[in-house]
Amino acid sequence: MNTPREQPGGVISRLMAELAKLPGIGPKSAERLTHHLLAARREEVLVLADALRALKEQIRRCELCCAPTEHVRCELCADTRRDPSIICVVEQPRDLTALQRAGGYRGRYHVLHGCLSPLDGIGPEHLTIDALLDRVRAGGVQEVIMATNPTTEGDGTALYLSSLLSPLGVRVTRLARGLPSGSVLEFANNQMLADALEGRRSF
Amino acid sequence: MATEKVKALVLRTTDWSETSRIATLFSRERGKLRGLAKGGRRLKSSFDNGLDLLTLCDMVLIRKTTGGLDLLTEAVVVRRFPRLHRELSALYAGYYVAELLADWTEELDPHPALFDEALEALEDLGDGSVGQRVLRFETRLLAELGYAPVIDWCSSCEGPLSAQALAFCAEAGGVLCPRCQAGPGERRRLSTEALGGMRALASEKWREPLADRVRAELRGVMGGIITHIRGKPPKLLPYLGG
Repeated sequence: MNTPREQPGGVISRLMAELAKLPGIGPKSAERLTHHLLAARREEVLVLADALRALKEQIRRCELCCAPTEHVRCELCADTRRDPSIICVVEQPRDLTALQRAGGYRGRYHVLHGCLSPLDGIGPEHLTIDALLDRVRAGGVQEVIMATNPTTEGDGTALYLSSLLSPLGVRVTRLARGLPSGSVLEFANNQMLADALEGRRSF
Repeated sequence: MATEKVKALVLRTTDWSETSRIATLFSRERGKLRGLAKGGRRLKSSFDNGLDLLTLCDMVLIRKTTGGLDLLTEAVVVRRFPRLHRELSALYAGYYVAELLADWTEELDPHPALFDEALEALEDLGDGSVGQRVLRFETRLLAELGYAPVIDWCSSCEGPLSAQALAFCAEAGGVLCPRCQAGPGERRRLSTEALGGMRALASEKWREPLADRVRAELRGVMGGIITHIRGKPPKLLPYLGG
């Protein structure tokens, strides 16, 4: 990975090593990016460096929903037009972004920053579960929607949360699962069909 | 590089790069396997969302002869265990089964009887006593791997066991009669009901319900055996109820 005149541990090697740690970036891509930055104008590179520094120095967790934000409260929690009586619980900030992109949901969110994974040593204390319970206990919440991933661990997290939330008197629901809109039955897999049948509803 | 088809239970998955995933599997034909599923994280892939924990799949894989990870090329879901998704105690018990299989079996060391027992256990969990089902699985696991505790005579002097003052010692490998209970190692008092429970769990009568007190006692005994043999307690042990 070292360029011919670069010693291991030098500035260029260090940057390549750091870039190669990013998801989707292998050693060759890291080398390409490094040479691109080397050739770029100083101002451009420093703008990138400033943005990276600001990301870690200025971004914090929203005091309500725990989503990353530059302010005490994120944009969604500060928006008074959103319905505070419904909270949609997601595993990661990117899940929140996906739901927002889909549109239609006008309630608030809560970001867990992971899911329960006892096999990997991730327990409730590693997630923002206490903050969610505090929000519900504070009153005004009528429904909590579990939008965790439809995996064994995601379902396990939703089960655990519902066992804590149900005694607090809120309605706990989860996202529907089954057939994607626009698809055809013939090409749906067994699980999709089973979920769709189980989750059928009246017209 | 030959292509193989196996029926396998997914024991563990780890994300690898943006779209790939490494899966630890337990197959009937080959025992434990570890393979790289390229594109396994994509929604639309040839893995049919099968690389989810505790899912039984028909897998197609390319075995690496050089000792690297096998390459998983296809998965079709055969069976999921829906009760695990509805009851937390059943799910934790399922994780425990996965942990024991992943950490305690070796690659390319098949145990078809253990594979069948694991599937039966996962199917049963959530229907009746989770605690008793886990105890049965542990009993079968220990027997299959050659660690079955001695419960029919004293594990030290091999003399007959009286009905009183029995103890269990994981280091000795089983039950101790009153005469052999002195000496090093942790001794756990064992009631005659619990000894009867251990014998029942090892037999075809294992479904006969055990009293809560006996089940709780056996939970401690079994946890002690497994912790002693593995040298450390399983991660999921604290999550198991009585």
